[in-house]
Amino acid sequence: MTNDKVDVVIVGAGASGAVYASVLAKAGKKVVLIESGPDWELSDLISSEIWGRRVKPAGAPILLEGKNPMGYAGQAGWGVGGAALHYFANFPRLLPTDFKVKSEHNRAHDWPISYQDVAPFYDKVAREIGVSGDAKAEEKWRPAGEAYPMPPMKTFRSGEIFLKGFEASGIPMVPAPVGMNSVEFNGRPACLYDGWCHVGCPIGALANPQITYLGEARMAGAEVRALSTVTRILTNQAGTRVTGVEYYDDKQQKQTQEASVVLLAAWSAQNPRLLLNSATDKHVKGLSNASGLVGHFMMTHHVASTWAMFDEDIKNHMGTIAVQYMSYERYAKTSHPGAFGSSFITAGFALKTSDLANSRADLFGPELADYMKRAARHLAGIKTFGEDQPNMENRVELTSAKDEFGMPLGKLVHSYDQDAVALWNANLEEGLKVAKATGAKEAWSSRGSIPTSHLMGGTIMGTSVANSVVDSYGQSHEIPNLWVAGPSIFPTAGASNPTFTIFALSQRGAERMASQWATLSN
Amino acid sequence: MADIGRRGFVKGGTVSALVFSVGGAEVIMPAGEARARGVPFRLLDAHQGETLEALGETLVPQARESGIAHFIDQQLSVPPNESLLQARILNIRPPFAEFYRTAIASIDGGSRKIFGRDFIQLSAADQREFVDLMRQNKIEGWTGPSGALVYAVLRSDAVDVVYGTMEGYESLDIPYMPHIPPEKRW
Repeated sequence: MTNDKVDVVIVGAGASGAVYASVLAKAGKKVVLIESGPDWELSDLISSEIWGRRVKPAGAPILLEGKNPMGYAGQAGWGVGGAALHYFANFPRLLPTDFKVKSEHNRAHDWPISYQDVAPFYDKVAREIGVSGDAKAEEKWRPAGEAYPMPPMKTFRSGEIFLKGFEASGIPMVPAPVGMNSVEFNGRPACLYDGWCHVGCPIGALANPQITYLGEARMAGAEVRALSTVTRILTNQAGTRVTGVEYYDDKQQKQTQEASVVLLAAWSAQNPRLLLNSATDKHVKGLSNASGLVGHFMMTHHVASTWAMFDEDIKNHMGTIAVQYMSYERYAKTSHPGAFGSSFITAGFALKTSDLANSRADLFGPELADYMKRAARHLAGIKTFGEDQPNMENRVELTSAKDEFGMPLGKLVHSYDQDAVALWNANLEEGLKVAKATGAKEAWSSRGSIPTSHLMGGTIMGTSVANSVVDSYGQSHEIPNLWVAGPSIFPTAGASNPTFTIFALSQRGAERMASQWATLSN
Repeated sequence: MADIGRRGFVKGGTVSALVFSVGGAEVIMPAGEARARGVPFRLLDAHQGETLEALGETLVPQARESGIAHFIDQQLSVPPNESLLQARILNIRPPFAEFYRTAIASIDGGSRKIFGRDFIQLSAADQREFVDLMRQNKIEGWTGPSGALVYAVLRSDAVDVVYGTMEGYESLDIPYMPHIPPEKRW
């Protein structure tokens, strides 16, 4: 079945797709978002770790391999809002050094743009959807910008208790910027600090797409088709333009949606899977893949978790899942001797019973039961995110196995290199030193397998087809009306949580698309 | 935005109720109650159910009484996208039932190799020793998903039924503070 042609078809209704939909629909474009999962409403966001799993993917369109397979399901999204429906809303930004790793260290990549190109869009996003924080305090590490529209969030003893230890270790901590309301903002209420952010905030205090960009997009006429799975991007005979997408609708019927522009805004492993599966005789390696780089340079963040037990009741159930304090003090790529990459230090977050149990994954039986009683109200944590370098061999490729629509499953191969392992170890050691300096009764590191958090790369941006898949706006180097959005276009990962940058880059890309519309439409 | 309260204060008394079949009718009840009422399993056989209960109890005390086997069985009977099992978060590939069946077979195989008996026939001390070896991948000749993964998935299930409910929070004196309490059927 063929639908009426639209201006833009967006694959994926998550963070990046929502921004594009908002900007373009408000610019008068006819926009359709096609989303593989359900159309969640705020009233679906049950306060329960168990029931909250419904908004995350189940099943495996992507098979996992490598020495450190990506544990993606906990962080990925399934349904309208994508991962941003249940994200923690930590809003640190990338720093200038992230954009020029090649120039400064002769490693990895330079972005084709600088921090200054993105900075105005960080400010714009903060103004539009609301960010709480203390910009001045952050500016000891970054160029000055606009103040955040809301003051920092409340802090709690579970975060404050670490400040003494950080000070003793020479690490200044400042209020963490978050996409949550410390006060009422644009008619949305202030946060209640109940710590259910990670299963979706139903009250509107957290800036998820449903109440921000997607709400605006729908008001401007954008259409969302949920439970619909795109399997292929279509091109004209000459292979010079994309013409739309093929998808299976909520009744499992095959459909075609023609569009002047196709925007891939699915998650980072799915964008390359779709490009690779859309190969034609004119694009035998897949669309936008003359470079052979589609699917390569998949990146994540490793997380060094340190736990500390205190005598006092620190009410660790209060607060948000986002962090209370953060520091860029170890963000310079060579901060830790013998390791390479940025580290982003955070402390103080609300804990649920599963967090208590997972903080000592080795315990079971009566020892676990005893530990749970001690950890309730007395456990707190430090988490340091670390940079994973872009390595060519960390990749997504198609397999011979097929999904229910006959589309090849993807295989995501990921291994940490020596720098990542060294950085993770250095961050664990520093976290333990800080925790001990707080006077904690017990302190320990979460060792074992190195965690993976966030997924980036696969369709990286660059200056030309020789080194990348898309340009800095997300426009394909090879097919002008094919665009890609989201963290898959990041050429380096930094160590900051990615969503603020996803929003900022998407705002930048969407405004560019709107301004260049005459050159894109056919 | 949906018209909902800012915080639905519900104190105790409410658990994560699931839909069970009783006498041909669909009845909503907690997994622990389903066990107490002897609700038949949908997919598991009696031996598999007993093994999950014994393993769950070894991992987290009270897991048997809290209905771990009925919880897993009910969740295995729904489509993967509706499943609430931690398996989906731990990237287990559906059908999840296959993972549990293989895990139980691996556990019994390992138990027979070390102790000469199925896991449910071991003493509590031997069950504990077995689980400790399993979590460290130290059982020779183990087949199927790794022992560490089986430990992680089943331990999470046991934590869910014992500590993941509102009663579980109350047992630890942790205020639950839901925006929308988990009593809704879907």
